[in-house]
Amino acid sequence: MNPMLIVLIVLCGGLAGGFIGALTGLGGGMVIVPLLTLVLHLPVPEAVGISLFGIIATSTGAATRFVGTGLSNMRVGLFLQMAASSGALAGAVIAHHLSSRFLFVLFGIVLGYSAIMSFVPKHADIVGADHDSPLARRLRLASRYEQNGVWTEYHVINVIPGFLIMVGAGLLSALLGIGSGAFKVLAMDRFMRLPFRVSTATSNFMIGVTAATSAGYYLSHGDVSPVLAGSVILGMLAGSYLGGHLVRSLPVPLLRRIFGAVLLLVALQMLLKGAFNL
Amino acid sequence: MNHVTRERRLINIWIVRASVTLCLTSILIGLVLFFAHGSQMPATPTGSLRHIVGGILEPGRFWRVSAFLDAGLVILLLTPMVRLLAGIYVSMRMRDWLYALIGTVVVVLVLIGLIAGQAGV
Repeated sequence: MNPMLIVLIVLCGGLAGGFIGALTGLGGGMVIVPLLTLVLHLPVPEAVGISLFGIIATSTGAATRFVGTGLSNMRVGLFLQMAASSGALAGAVIAHHLSSRFLFVLFGIVLGYSAIMSFVPKHADIVGADHDSPLARRLRLASRYEQNGVWTEYHVINVIPGFLIMVGAGLLSALLGIGSGAFKVLAMDRFMRLPFRVSTATSNFMIGVTAATSAGYYLSHGDVSPVLAGSVILGMLAGSYLGGHLVRSLPVPLLRRIFGAVLLLVALQMLLKGAFNL
Repeated sequence: MNHVTRERRLINIWIVRASVTLCLTSILIGLVLFFAHGSQMPATPTGSLRHIVGGILEPGRFWRVSAFLDAGLVILLLTPMVRLLAGIYVSMRMRDWLYALIGTVVVVLVLIGLIAGQAGV
């Protein structure tokens, strides 16, 4: 295939990934990795390495919305980042020793799960904890945030389960080239009972650092094509910017269902590729 | 909000803005050169980060496609790291040694990733 055409396809893929990610909350990696592996037939580690750079880009781009708001809890972020980066480091090393077929199957399962979850209506905020666990107290994780001039204090519990989920989130991120933002928010929301806005802002910072841990490995290992990674970065940043601005004027629930259905089909194709090499 | 917290937010805002601008500029120039030079796909670096950084700094390669693209990737990769270093600096200013240590552990993990990839672990 003509290299210019490849770059244009990847640029458009990045644009679609960033756009879909901004509208649905599904990460751009869910679009980029299948595009690079199923359509352009890149080896899985190369596709994952390129996708991780796109994830750092969208996380850094989104950070302009979060920094300065005071929503991000740096102590929680730094503490959990030890877990996420350890998982990411292990994942990047393990990925180079696993068969592509296994990675296709794993990607298919995670993508399928995420696509199905995009059909499930989001529940209201989970009730926050009314006290700190002893470990949270020791680590001084509780904090407060300001909204419309009102300060809200919150407490933190279940620090160890949250830490362990983060190891898994980092591992999956590095194995599959995804941000694992859903897992990070799950750990902070459901288990540690942080307010949703705080966990989203903290997770944004963490996604970038987690992806950087494994992207550094992939880059120095020689898995990342600069032209393709550059195209993904540019496309994803433009797509997420566009999606973020159009999110209020588009029928998001309908689009979420359409994209969810498409990603479900892609998940099926990844599973078939892994299981039967189809 | 105390002045150290305000300082941390300002540092973060400037790091993010400068990084996104520099990274996008480098990549845009790289891609424009790629299309202008007529579809020659630069090779994926098979060596290491040292090879990539050496390539960016090598004077003869300045106007080559890969030098700009590599620079964009390295800037982007360093951004979360610089934000971490800013967090460590602020923790130290606040004499919060525990979180300065935790931040340092994370930076070390990112560096191990770079070294391990280069070593082909």
